[in-house]
Amino acid sequence: MTSVAGRPASPASGASPAPAPDQADAAKTLFIPKMRSGPADNSADAAKTVLIPKMGSGPVGDSDATELLPRILGHGPKAQANPDRGLRRLRPDFLIVGLLVLVVTTVQAWNIGGFPNLTDDEGTYLAQAWAVREGVGLAHYTYWYDHPPVGWIQLAALSWLPALLMPDQLAVVTGRVAMLPIVAAGVVLVYVLCRRLSMARWAAALAVLAYGLSPLSVTMLRQIYLDSFAVTWMLAAFVLALSPRRHLWHHVAAGAAAGIAVLSKETILVVLPALVVALWHGTQRNGVRSFSFAGFFSGLVFVGITYPLYALLKGELFPGDGHVSLIGAMQFQLQDRAGSGSVFTAGTGAREVFDSWLFYDPVLIYAGIACGLLALAVRRLRPVAVAVALLLVVALRPGGYLPAMYVIQALPFLAVAVAGIIEVGAKRIMATRPTDPAPMADRHQPATVVRAGVVAVCATVALVLVVPGWYDGNRRAMSADDNVRYVAAMQWLSNEVPDRAATTVVTDDVLWLDLVDAGYRPERVIWFYKLDLDVEVAKRLENGWRDVDLIISTPAMRGDDNTLPTVDLLLANSEPVMTFGDGPDRIEIRQVAKETG
Amino acid sequence: MAATIIVAISIVLFVFAVVTLWWTMHAWRTPETLAGTRFSAHDGTHSLSFSLLLPARHEQQVLEHTVQRLMESTHTRFEIIIIVGHDDPETTAVAERLASTHPYHVRVVTDTNPVKNKPRALNTALPYCRGAVVGVFDAEDQVHPHLLEHVDHAFRVTKADVVQGGVQLINYHSSWYSLHNCLEYYFWFRSRLHLHAQRGFIPLGGNTVFVRTAALRAVGAWDGDCLAEDCDLGVRLSSRGAKVVVAYDSTLVTREETPATLGALIRQRTRWNQGFLQVLFKGEWRRLPTAWQRMLARYTLIGPFIQAFSGVAVPLGVFIALFFDVGTLAALVSFLPLAPMIASLMFQVVGLRDFGRQYQLRIGPVHYARLILGAFPYMLVLAVAALRAVWRFLRKRNNWELTSHVGAHLAVGQAESATAARSQA
Repeated sequence: MTSVAGRPASPASGASPAPAPDQADAAKTLFIPKMRSGPADNSADAAKTVLIPKMGSGPVGDSDATELLPRILGHGPKAQANPDRGLRRLRPDFLIVGLLVLVVTTVQAWNIGGFPNLTDDEGTYLAQAWAVREGVGLAHYTYWYDHPPVGWIQLAALSWLPALLMPDQLAVVTGRVAMLPIVAAGVVLVYVLCRRLSMARWAAALAVLAYGLSPLSVTMLRQIYLDSFAVTWMLAAFVLALSPRRHLWHHVAAGAAAGIAVLSKETILVVLPALVVALWHGTQRNGVRSFSFAGFFSGLVFVGITYPLYALLKGELFPGDGHVSLIGAMQFQLQDRAGSGSVFTAGTGAREVFDSWLFYDPVLIYAGIACGLLALAVRRLRPVAVAVALLLVVALRPGGYLPAMYVIQALPFLAVAVAGIIEVGAKRIMATRPTDPAPMADRHQPATVVRAGVVAVCATVALVLVVPGWYDGNRRAMSADDNVRYVAAMQWLSNEVPDRAATTVVTDDVLWLDLVDAGYRPERVIWFYKLDLDVEVAKRLENGWRDVDLIISTPAMRGDDNTLPTVDLLLANSEPVMTFGDGPDRIEIRQVAKETG
Repeated sequence: MAATIIVAISIVLFVFAVVTLWWTMHAWRTPETLAGTRFSAHDGTHSLSFSLLLPARHEQQVLEHTVQRLMESTHTRFEIIIIVGHDDPETTAVAERLASTHPYHVRVVTDTNPVKNKPRALNTALPYCRGAVVGVFDAEDQVHPHLLEHVDHAFRVTKADVVQGGVQLINYHSSWYSLHNCLEYYFWFRSRLHLHAQRGFIPLGGNTVFVRTAALRAVGAWDGDCLAEDCDLGVRLSSRGAKVVVAYDSTLVTREETPATLGALIRQRTRWNQGFLQVLFKGEWRRLPTAWQRMLARYTLIGPFIQAFSGVAVPLGVFIALFFDVGTLAALVSFLPLAPMIASLMFQVVGLRDFGRQYQLRIGPVHYARLILGAFPYMLVLAVAALRAVWRFLRKRNNWELTSHVGAHLAVGQAESATAARSQA
């Protein structure tokens, strides 16, 4: 017996065994030569072994010692490709999502420049995005850590294209167009989230329609708010945390997405515990869960830590003389900022904000809260229910500050909760008792009809309650023209002012970027409140308010809550040159009186 | 300029660290992957015969215990071949006594090589192996009695050519670095080796490794000059299409101890790293069929270079960040490699808990503290070992010809001409 016997490398060779080759041959036949990029094959080294005859009288090597099946290993075994999985199975989902994106973005985009009023905040974020894009910094004034900058950094990336395509529009309007991809992404993510919460397609579509077409959404989502970025990233984090593949890197990505959400708008932090619940649901207790959590928090911590790190590197982490600081700004936001009272007290700011939401859409607010609390009892809906509950508790806390855009963070969760509970209810009503395998007896027929009838009645009642209000709200959103005065004022400022580069203008945030685009110098276009609140800006005007040529008085300027003595002086010492509109909504362009008196 | 250097270094380090982490965490990617690394229960049939090689050099203290433990194996068909040096009478005496006690199972082979090392000892014993499968152990290993049955089963079920069993350092409580050393083994055998086995490129471990005798002979056994003969053998086997499976089960692992001193650890690591570099330059891995496999091989084998590079780059980066004004953005980018570091530290914390559960060990707050506080110093230790290896490798390459050919027979003139020829090349 030879110790080694090779076999020709053909799987079909079930023929007689080959004669025993010598060692060098064995080395060649045992392994199939391979395609290689290296130097020429030199199997001499494989033939170096010289076998010494075996000692002892023990048994000759086993049969399996003399056989070595040649094989080439590629990658390890892959999961069986299941024909029911993959794109074919998802085709209806793609169709539904495509259609939903089309419907929602159309409604959102229709008349985007005419409704609602252009607000100061929108102008602020857009101007800061401009500063990022132009390489000026994180803001065109001293960045004072009022919000983390990731939201308007994203806006900077999105807003240049609409601005390029629509040069005749007001800057804030092009900025609103830049928000549409975020809305579209939100639509897709809400749908996927519902599917991952094992909701039926119709329920997922219902959630998307509630999220995208509620008049409250149509009002809020088309405006430039950081909250839209934050909630979309948070939805992405939920979707990743509930990934059906339960892949570790999806969970790391979920943490990173949550980090980006928080750095887009810090208040989304409230929802984080709900995301942890989602991750708990999305992982199995089989040895991987703890690693998934470690990965999730790594992603979250690393993304989150970049913000304080940035402040630290700039020497602006801790409060100190003569510079802004992250911690100082946080103290201001948490302690010094005036609270807006309680939602339950008439006349408070918080109550006004809450009423304004209800004005646009009481259905989604009330039904969403009710369904969110009900959904706490349904395990698969719990992540969303916890999110609703947390947002509700924070909104109702007395004495805190409740901003109007806060509701944006709640909209998708309210919508998903409503759709989820409707689905649960419908299933409960339609569920038949388990019957014997025999065909349905006649006595079950009426029961089914009755059940279907109950569902139909419920659906009709709901539609009667919802549709008229939504129709009115959305019709107004798609037809009103609330910004005509701004457009007219801007036209006048672009064409009628002769020496624009040498003119110093005090304006609200809405028109700032348009004025810069119209040829006014960025350092000579001043946000009105910076005159009194930013030392650096005050230094720019050697002779104080007398260096200002024009002041544009808008509802936003006249309604500002801060004490602004310089602005008051300017308004007192100026005469209107042009007025657009009348009443409280008017916009006046006022010439500042220069005579030294 | 400084900013560019900082950003470039940070991105390179970041990429390396992320890839390494990605591969390290292979087993925990999905619940299915983790389930796939489990070891199926054996069926109790013994169809294979084993030759277990036990190189013993000055191991008279532990050798007897190791052999007794091997003799407790439940498998019925195995022989133990103890390899002793001709200049090591104490160990030889113990080995001979064991052979006379167990005449049917234990034999002794004497290694007469003038320069001794493990691969040469193994090569000396290979011709005497009668088993279908050759297994390699270290003289101080504690082998589980059921291991051979499981390995037998693994060979038959998977039709593998090589079965790599698990090895686990167990004395996590001995010192601050032993904890990290144990965790390294844990992550390597529990997770990353499975990736290598799946991808068809595997640097084998030095012991608890089983190879079909025929396959071993066919590839030319061990390389007597390689400092990492185990890695080299794995690369040669897998480059030629041998099928390797990893059989890891915490109850069956071979238990070992960490090097006794930090110096010993650094020396051991230096040797491994140098061995990896030798394997890299031997170029055997170029035979691998797919580009992806070659990439994995290249990346794994240049590991020492990468570690040495980060050992140099991290202090350099800190130095530049401190003494040059590189701008906030560049400074922010320079913290990029921190991300995979944070992640791997978090994974290690969880891994330590896992390790404690698998091996029924008590992991207390002290150990977590050691883990977190010792993470960076341990990285430095590994970087020092890597730098030493690279440096020694380069020096060694400069006088490689001389050391390999300077026998007593080599005249001075010939050596000089060889040097001249080399300098012309």
